[in-house]
Amino acid sequence: MKKHFLLSLTFLTIFLFVPAMNGRAEVPSIQVAIDPPPGALTMGDKAVFQGTVYNAGHQHLQGLVVYLSLVSLEPGHEHPMDLEDWSAQKAIRIKRLAPGETGARNWSMRLIRSGRYGVTLTVVDPRESRPMVSNLIRFAVLPKPAIASGRIVPVAIGEPLIVLFLFGLFSGLHNRRRQTRDRKRVRP
Amino acid sequence: MRYVSPLIQKECVEDIFSSRGAVLYLVGCGILSVFSLLLVSNTELSLLDNAQAVYMMVGIVIGLAVLIAVIRGSDGFAGERERETLETLLTAPIDAEDAAMAKLAGIAFSWLIIFLLSVPYLWAVGSTGQNLWPAFEYLFLAGTLLVLIFGGFTLALSARIKTVKGVLSIGLLLFLVCGSPIVMGPSLRQSVIGRFMDVVNPFGVALNMLDSVVVDSQGILVQILPLAVLLCYTGAVLLFLHLATRRMGL
Repeated sequence: MKKHFLLSLTFLTIFLFVPAMNGRAEVPSIQVAIDPPPGALTMGDKAVFQGTVYNAGHQHLQGLVVYLSLVSLEPGHEHPMDLEDWSAQKAIRIKRLAPGETGARNWSMRLIRSGRYGVTLTVVDPRESRPMVSNLIRFAVLPKPAIASGRIVPVAIGEPLIVLFLFGLFSGLHNRRRQTRDRKRVRP
Repeated sequence: MRYVSPLIQKECVEDIFSSRGAVLYLVGCGILSVFSLLLVSNTELSLLDNAQAVYMMVGIVIGLAVLIAVIRGSDGFAGERERETLETLLTAPIDAEDAAMAKLAGIAFSWLIIFLLSVPYLWAVGSTGQNLWPAFEYLFLAGTLLVLIFGGFTLALSARIKTVKGVLSIGLLLFLVCGSPIVMGPSLRQSVIGRFMDVVNPFGVALNMLDSVVVDSQGILVQILPLAVLLCYTGAVLLFLHLATRRMGL
């Protein structure tokens, strides 16, 4: 009976503590989040997203690489966006993050195209095999009329022609004046 | 001054009536036309904010102006030497420094023409957006200083180096190195080398100033430091030009 009781106690201990230990191991030591700017976003705006990286572990973290990802979420046209076109900073390195410390940083980008997008922040700890990714923040960029082609095309085509005509005219007048002057010099 | 004025007039007018000048300005117009048409036809570029498009256009105008200043500066004295007309110039009743100033005035006049040619393009691109008038003001200011810096430097080199080819090679190399902020994206300019180039390079300083005025709508107080840097470069180049032409030989 005593033996049975000890065996049951051992199993109970294993069943109770092992999942708890596993659960504790799964608590990430890095927590990453990104917050969208308040209000509606329009094309041409410079949107500033606030990213935070929190060290929830008990050890110092070193050499963390944090990078931004932007994807288009237009139905049927989902694709990653080139951050270079959006004048956004792609990545930073956090040299050291103490336990309980939060590294905050603003990630600005110029919104060059209307549509629906998603942004995430990823943290790579060189000692870990799995990167930490923030929740996907969805946002919409409202369209705004930008460059008016009705004005550009006439200027782009017309100005070289006008310049060509003016240089020809000036050059012709200059040559005629010079010829007249030369003739006057020869006459006497 | 009596003899310098006709020389300045000759240097200024030479570009308008010569085929070389006409070709340079037509090529400049062509580049601006192609880029502005690209702004309309390219999907990504056509969605740019007006101020951003004006800033990009302004960068191209400044690049063109500096390129033409380098070409004209290289031809300044070295060209006269190769055409064997430098002796005639130096025997005229003006000293070499006055001749250098006249040539620099000619380069500045070329910039004035490029600036005037660029006005319709900038208006077409940015008239519906913000900061167009400040863009004109600061483009003129920064462009004038950059043209004096690069034009004056290559002119000083042409007073010391015998061939146009030699001066032009150095001038174009300098233009490529200094003009790199135009082709470097914002991310690359965040690097240590990029930041260093932005501080040291007059081209980068001018572009940052225009970015801050046109895109970020910042006022004159923010522009004092970049303007001071550009003025220091201009002063140093003018001093170099003075020293280079003081004892100029054939």
